[in-house]
Amino acid sequence: MAAAAAPSSSGQDIPAPLVPILAILASAYRSFASALTRIPGSPIVIRYIESSYQNDPWRSILEVLLVAFAVRTLLKGRTRGDASSKNWVKLREEEIDELVDEWVPQPLVDEPSDVDKFTLASVPVINGPNGLRVKLASSGKMVTNLATVDWTGMIESDKMKQVAIDTLKLYGVGSCGPSGFYGTIDVHTKFEEEVSSFLGTESAIIYSQAYATISSAIPSFAKRGDIIVADKGVNFAIHKGLEISRSTIKWYAHNDMKDLERVLQNVEKEQKRKGGRLTRRFIISEGVFENDGMMVDLPKVMELKRKYKYRLILDESYSFGMIGAHGRGVTEYYSIPAAEVDILIGSMGNGLGAGGGFCAGSYHVCKHQKINSSASVFSAALPAMLATTASSALATIQTQPALFTSLQANILLFRQILSKIEPIPMSDTPATSATGLTASAATPLTGSSPSKTPNKDAIIHIPSHPSSALIHIFLLNAPGTMEEEERILQDVVDELLAKSDVIVTRARRLRGQEAFEPEPSLKVCLSGALSRKETEKAAKGLKEALIKVCGKKR
Amino acid sequence: MGRTTRPSLATTSTSTPPTSYSKGSLSSARSSLINVLSRPRLPLTSLSTATALAQSDGQLTPEDDYSTASSYASSVSSSGGSFSGNSKEDNAEEIAKAYRNYLEKPFVNTKSGIKHSEFGHCNNPNWRWTSQWNTDEPIHPEEDLAPPLYILVSTYFSYLIFIILGHMRDFFGKHFAVSRYAHLLPTKDYAALYSDFDSFYVRRLKKRIDDCFSRPVTQVPGRTINLLDRESSDQNEHFELTGTQTRALNVSSYNYLGFASSTGGCADAVESSIRRYGVASGGPRHDANTLDLHQQCEKLVAKFCGAESSMVFSMGFATNSTNIPALVGKGCLVISDELNHASIRFGVRLSGASVRMFKHNDMGALEQLLREVISQGQPRTHRPWKKILVIVEGLYSMEGSLLNLPVLIDLKRRYKFYVYVDEAHSIGAIGPNGRGVCDYFGIDPREIDVLMGTFTKSFGAAGGYVAGTKELIDRLRVRSHAYTYADAVSPAILTQVISSMGSIMGVAPPLAPVKEDDDAMSVMSRPISYGPALASQLPPWLNLPATLLNGTEGRERLRRLAFNSRYLSSGLRKLGFLMYGHRDSPIIPLLIFNPGKMPYFSQMMLKRIGPDLTPIVVVVVAYPATPLITSRVRFCLSASHTKNDIDLILRAADEVGDVLDLKLGEQTMSVEEVIASAEELVAAAF
Repeated sequence: MAAAAAPSSSGQDIPAPLVPILAILASAYRSFASALTRIPGSPIVIRYIESSYQNDPWRSILEVLLVAFAVRTLLKGRTRGDASSKNWVKLREEEIDELVDEWVPQPLVDEPSDVDKFTLASVPVINGPNGLRVKLASSGKMVTNLATVDWTGMIESDKMKQVAIDTLKLYGVGSCGPSGFYGTIDVHTKFEEEVSSFLGTESAIIYSQAYATISSAIPSFAKRGDIIVADKGVNFAIHKGLEISRSTIKWYAHNDMKDLERVLQNVEKEQKRKGGRLTRRFIISEGVFENDGMMVDLPKVMELKRKYKYRLILDESYSFGMIGAHGRGVTEYYSIPAAEVDILIGSMGNGLGAGGGFCAGSYHVCKHQKINSSASVFSAALPAMLATTASSALATIQTQPALFTSLQANILLFRQILSKIEPIPMSDTPATSATGLTASAATPLTGSSPSKTPNKDAIIHIPSHPSSALIHIFLLNAPGTMEEEERILQDVVDELLAKSDVIVTRARRLRGQEAFEPEPSLKVCLSGALSRKETEKAAKGLKEALIKVCGKKR
Repeated sequence: MGRTTRPSLATTSTSTPPTSYSKGSLSSARSSLINVLSRPRLPLTSLSTATALAQSDGQLTPEDDYSTASSYASSVSSSGGSFSGNSKEDNAEEIAKAYRNYLEKPFVNTKSGIKHSEFGHCNNPNWRWTSQWNTDEPIHPEEDLAPPLYILVSTYFSYLIFIILGHMRDFFGKHFAVSRYAHLLPTKDYAALYSDFDSFYVRRLKKRIDDCFSRPVTQVPGRTINLLDRESSDQNEHFELTGTQTRALNVSSYNYLGFASSTGGCADAVESSIRRYGVASGGPRHDANTLDLHQQCEKLVAKFCGAESSMVFSMGFATNSTNIPALVGKGCLVISDELNHASIRFGVRLSGASVRMFKHNDMGALEQLLREVISQGQPRTHRPWKKILVIVEGLYSMEGSLLNLPVLIDLKRRYKFYVYVDEAHSIGAIGPNGRGVCDYFGIDPREIDVLMGTFTKSFGAAGGYVAGTKELIDRLRVRSHAYTYADAVSPAILTQVISSMGSIMGVAPPLAPVKEDDDAMSVMSRPISYGPALASQLPPWLNLPATLLNGTEGRERLRRLAFNSRYLSSGLRKLGFLMYGHRDSPIIPLLIFNPGKMPYFSQMMLKRIGPDLTPIVVVVVAYPATPLITSRVRFCLSASHTKNDIDLILRAADEVGDVLDLKLGEQTMSVEEVIASAEELVAAAF
């Protein structure tokens, strides 16, 4: 205040009526200043202020106005911003009462539509334990379950059960707190160390749900103004993570490396044109895509990521524990060190038959999430028994590569049978061996035998990678609406269950909430723990069901 | 409305002990023994207050207590650490040894198979209370607690110093120790992974007290918890485990009803469930991963909440973040309490609905806002809102404040909004039947449109639920993100939920006959919707012991938790601490303001400066979880704590409070007076 009053008294061209007021101000200022001089060091400050405001009343006025404006802004509640806006309608209390009385809200939930009823009615219920052979509540029949993710047969493993019981007797069930407040159990740390050394990354962090892992990990790094280049076919959880992050999102065509490069070039051009500061840039893709079972072309993505200086976020929720000689995921499949992927997400539910998710990466990547990822900070930690069973499953898959060879053998058998009704059938003597883990398996099905003539009996199309145990089956001649298509697929599911005692599922979607509506498909999850005979029976049954339901509709 | 007053209850609680209590004279002697043990240096005369209870029986004298002390100590301490009657000769080590026994060996005769270290055995029927709304007590204080000016100034000043020092360290570090700051600096073509500004608080303020956070633990987070000792040689950047463990009294875990346990009926049920079902869920519910167990659990949860239908999820956080977007969208308005949990904010942000906030628990501010938003309509277009969803929490986890539900329901009738109550902390912990805030206030749960809660806290499990009308739940089943894309709940966890929830409800038939003087009010006022679980709803293979089946143990736990909460909260207030929260809340925040006092509070509770050395673990919280100024320590009580445990916490807080100048209010009682008059304090209105 002293500074503001000071220059007025020393101004030269002041209008006459103001002079007495200014004189009073000046004397007040002087007595205040003399008090100030008693404070040690104050003369220096005063001299500075005096000299800087000498002969410049306009500057003083401007600054006083600025201070007043700042105070006004601070005092104004942020939530009451509307009241002063142009659009505000001032109403009397009686008018407000009237409006309140008149307002009729929509019901909280809409009436269930036919599609909703159809969705609910088609959810199968299992009596007793889940696994590869389950008892259906509706019919009481034992059926082969190809709807549940169980790549290596961990769900029914007796060893896992024993580990869980041992854990129960030491740790109880719940963790009763977030990891920040006494929820960091030693078994969590143990699993984090094990999974990071298994993958070869510096560090890892676990979350209590696989779905929440990626949707919370993305916004913990990507903020407003950052650039994310994402595959159009990524799963729902990633979409939600992208939405939360508020970053600038550029989409590239699903699994199309040329388009990825085009997008990266465009971003580079745009940034060069605009200039500005360096922003964080991420590429987001999945290892094996949840929506169609395709596999990312990781070597190419790595090349582009290095070339254009991006960081890679790779969701391996489906590929971890499924792909690679030891189930390390697509990084092992392509022999690329996992440590080169900046942020790698995996699921302990899908891959390890336990529950929860994890993120592997450098020390700083993981440490940052411990305090900044909301699903990690604000959620109760994973129950101890899910961490120990995951540890046990990890040890099993490391020591038993046979689990993956039999899984690949089953996949190959299944795909061969179904390829009879695909546009381009697989040759009966495949180029890859039954263990199918060599790089040649990476070439997509359609490209492997271009000389073949198109199959006239083709009714389905399977874009899933030949090594993927997650197989999505799409109809070739889809009817007009997605709803009709879903109903046809459900007929296939019902037919297969009735004739062959095999249960598969339609890929369930949240129609209306998806960013890009995925085409309806059938989802099949194969397992290495299934016998060849069962796999063959399931594949043949599925083929027949497809022919029966879709064949007649053509 | 079903609201009741509680005069008869107050008389039962404060009257002389019933005759049956004399049978437990041994137990009372041992309970009061702890009061003696924890103050071994007190002169004998002062024991008269500590053992007032024993004396009221007219059977024991302090000297008798001491003789029991020596015999008991030698009997429980196998290493032969004899506990002589003359406490002056005892060295600290022996006392510590006695206290290790204190944490692990029960002081009362019990047939229960549950470990004392996980669930304290406490037989005194006077140390019980019923959690129920007393219409005379305010639900939420009108005004915030104001600290003295010097505390306010010094708190801001210390933050200022921390910030200046932090920036100086950053400045010099970035110029002279580049390798250590590499992850914060942009490299040639990459921007820094996270900005140094965003992480400033964590690196420069939180890291100073990182030894108080994320302490690694092992085994059950029950009444006690096993800490893995650790130390840091590089200023909390890394910690190394020393290999030793410390068993400490646990007032940090959300274990309200003490169901976190490796022994007992629930654990046995979970074991048989694992043998039957395994642990994995297999994937999303809609993809053939819906087990009979899921359906049984959902029916039970619906019954528990007094709702028509319910659905369960594998993560509490995701319950909010994946279901709110399924309820509201563009053109809808969410009105949210300013202190709502991060998961709610996450869900609301995903939903695309507009958001307005109101001052924490201030129903006046809410009404004001409602009038504004309904009359103004949507911004710019002035179209009426499609629907308005008010999202509040039943019990706020950082404040301990209870939702002002009666007023909210009145507002709901007038303003026609929908109510979403997040009962993450209140379900199981509040109310005469443990059914959350509706039960506490005697309000029909069907008045609430969306009841949400978690299984992590009161039920010792994991995950969350949403309950409501059948239409709501059916709609959510097809629209909830989690049902289609997230893993279902693990069967082992479902069993923990079913067995703990079933034992709170009691299973009919048979529900235990209610003793006349026991909990009479709450049982009479029990609404039909809060009846027992039907035996037919439980899995047929589930074997629960009789005390769990007939609901006596569940009721006992609820009443112990209610007593513990009210006792500690009242006691700390009498000692002059500034406290937040409702007295019936099991979350009890004690304000410490100055950030520098936080680590000391935590460390002094762990290391203890008092004579008995029993370690206590507490949670300290500061910005950004709380407003900048109100750093606090938070006690989370449990039914597993015995009254002696609460005495211990009071003594420890008293010691630390004196040293750290935390008694900023008016101290009206000494700690011994508080301990001696526990029952009066609990019964009294403040």
